[in-house]
Amino acid sequence: MNRSAASRPRPHSRKAGGRRREEHCKTEEKADDVAPRGTCTTMCPISEVRQREAQNRLHHFEVLAGTERNRLPRADVCRAVKEYSRPAAGKDTTRASELRPPDVLLKTVCYLVDDVAACPSRQPWTEVYSFVFDRLRSVRQDMVIQRVSGPECASVLERTVRFLLYASYRLCGQPLRLYDPHINDTHLQESLSWLLECYSEGQHQHQDEFQALSLLYNLGSPRALQHALELPHKVRHSSPVQLALALNRAYMERNPVRLLRLAQRLDFLQACALHRHLLSCRRDLLLLYSHGHSSRNCRFPIQKLADILSLECSLAAQLCQTHGIHVNGDYVVFSKGSFTESPSEELQCAHMHKLVDDKQQDLSLSNIIHGIA
Amino acid sequence: GAQILLLRYTSLFSQVLEAIDTRDGVFCAELLSFKHPHVANPRLQLSSPEDKCQQVLEPPYDEMVAAHLRCTYAVANHDFVEAYKSFQAHKEENWCSHCLRGQAEQQLQKKGKGKVGDMLEKAAEQLMSCFRVCASDNRAGIDDSKKWGMLFLINQLFKIYFKINKLHLCKPLIRAIDSSNLKDDYSMAQRVTYKYYVGRKAMFDSNFKLAEEYLSFSFQHSHRSCQRNKRLILIYLLPVKMLLGHMPTTQLLKKYDLMQFTDVTKAVSEGNLLLLNEALAKHETFFIRCGIFLILEKLKIITYRNLFKKVYLLLKTHQLPLDAFLVALKMMQVEEVDIDEVQCILANLIYMGHIKGYISHQHQKLVVSKQNPFPPLSSVS
Repeated sequence: MNRSAASRPRPHSRKAGGRRREEHCKTEEKADDVAPRGTCTTMCPISEVRQREAQNRLHHFEVLAGTERNRLPRADVCRAVKEYSRPAAGKDTTRASELRPPDVLLKTVCYLVDDVAACPSRQPWTEVYSFVFDRLRSVRQDMVIQRVSGPECASVLERTVRFLLYASYRLCGQPLRLYDPHINDTHLQESLSWLLECYSEGQHQHQDEFQALSLLYNLGSPRALQHALELPHKVRHSSPVQLALALNRAYMERNPVRLLRLAQRLDFLQACALHRHLLSCRRDLLLLYSHGHSSRNCRFPIQKLADILSLECSLAAQLCQTHGIHVNGDYVVFSKGSFTESPSEELQCAHMHKLVDDKQQDLSLSNIIHGIA
Repeated sequence: GAQILLLRYTSLFSQVLEAIDTRDGVFCAELLSFKHPHVANPRLQLSSPEDKCQQVLEPPYDEMVAAHLRCTYAVANHDFVEAYKSFQAHKEENWCSHCLRGQAEQQLQKKGKGKVGDMLEKAAEQLMSCFRVCASDNRAGIDDSKKWGMLFLINQLFKIYFKINKLHLCKPLIRAIDSSNLKDDYSMAQRVTYKYYVGRKAMFDSNFKLAEEYLSFSFQHSHRSCQRNKRLILIYLLPVKMLLGHMPTTQLLKKYDLMQFTDVTKAVSEGNLLLLNEALAKHETFFIRCGIFLILEKLKIITYRNLFKKVYLLLKTHQLPLDAFLVALKMMQVEEVDIDEVQCILANLIYMGHIKGYISHQHQKLVVSKQNPFPPLSSVS
């Protein structure tokens, strides 16, 4: 008569929330129990430090200076951080001594940001990213198991989202084996939707900022837009959200000129959030103009085109050429028949980052991720 | 169905037995549904009816009726969560979980426990397994086939998917019906509901011609007396028709109490961007709640087209200075618009086929075709 719902395998979705449910499934069965409370006071549980040390599985960021060349490098307890581990049958992830409580989690995140991600001596940044990405994932895992929510949860997720947004811009164009934009996107979306869920209750200092970032990162998404329209009045009418909505409106109306002009007003992190859409916005502009200005006798000045594309002249000319638009000295000639969709391999998004680059100026990465920019 | 006074649960049992013997599925379903008045009878509300059921009825009916009775008890005590749980244990047979689920949601929301979305997703899983049972029923003859249950279940699933905003899950269900040979033989009520949801999905996919077809069908065939349903369908049909260039009459809007659309309609047909923005702002809450705000914003493009056509008709020339359009936009109090943006808006209209012509940047002019430069809206898109 009483068939337990917990014995049924839970649906597996790769979309946001799916991974959280996967990691949650062990604790589902104890649904009626109180959530586990961690007692580990260090960034990495001592048992794990010893284990990884013995198995030579320390990351070189975690190794005690001077022992790197040893057969078994020693761990620097102040720099070892708990790694992400896949949930598996028989593995107990709820041992209190191995779980870090929220205040330790926040300290861990701050260490990862200030002492690893923002540390200029750590190169290459792809390696920094891999390490921080994994350790942040483990932080989220601890939060899921302990069912952390509210402002403590938001503080961690906000920094995570800022980090992943920054990474999506900084590592854009890197070879796939070093950085995978799809994986970054999955985790970014997951963290972002979890964060927005946290915001649904209570007051949060940075809510305006992140609602706007979500709208920019998810430019044109009906779901993100509908969510924004349903926000409380004060949040919806805050300037970051209004700007993000205006950009979305320009996108929906198919007015890339307006979109790119509004993009000038974004701050650095907002520009990072938007940046992956810039290439297609520019392409769209060229497509529309190819049809709208299609005439053999007409010429369009490259300088003007470069201005509205927010690109340098030479790059604008290159972009035109990859789309089959005829460049003639200082002018282009648009023709609806010659526009081609497929961009050539050479011209990548990464070459056209100036719009975003210029906004960084002398902001420190640390300040950007902590939100003190 | 006939009103039956069920004084004791034994009467319920004999009624169920009789229904089973005479294979009266409809009546049986009624007896086990919540729409039947017997559920209010306190003597039928038992918290542990299993033993009694097992004495009288054979499996699986004993479990079904027991679950139903547990439910009535739980509902009577306003414990909808418990009531829903009893239904969950009998996914194969229970088709009436819908209203119960809705009430369970409400209660959970009030208690703050868990999330409505999760409950709905669970309900959807239950319904999906019922659906699969029906869809794979190749054994029985057409009259007895469980396939008749498919459309009902699909409509329930659609309702949930729309609520939790997971429209992509509708696709396999639509495919199932499209490939079914029963699709035109279901009851009109079910088909109306089906087309309503499929129409809304087409809207979401920006497939406006298809959306118009489905929603029109739904509107025309929904029962004359059901004003509420017709109004609901119209809320979605109107924006689609407007995007295709067909404006509703004030008479229609009055009849169905949809005056929120009057200003929008007027603004679009006159090319009055200012009025459009005002109208959208004024009834924002209503439009957002119905989920049509974003679609209505698409009407801006049609409005630009209508406005620019007026400029063309006024100037009576085929070589129109771009400045004229800029002036028109500024008169409509469009914020921060410049000549570059005007070019972009025009380029888009040309690309979409709303204007036949080209822009000359050097001469700062829009040169339009001498023949039919602004084709009728219904012939475009």
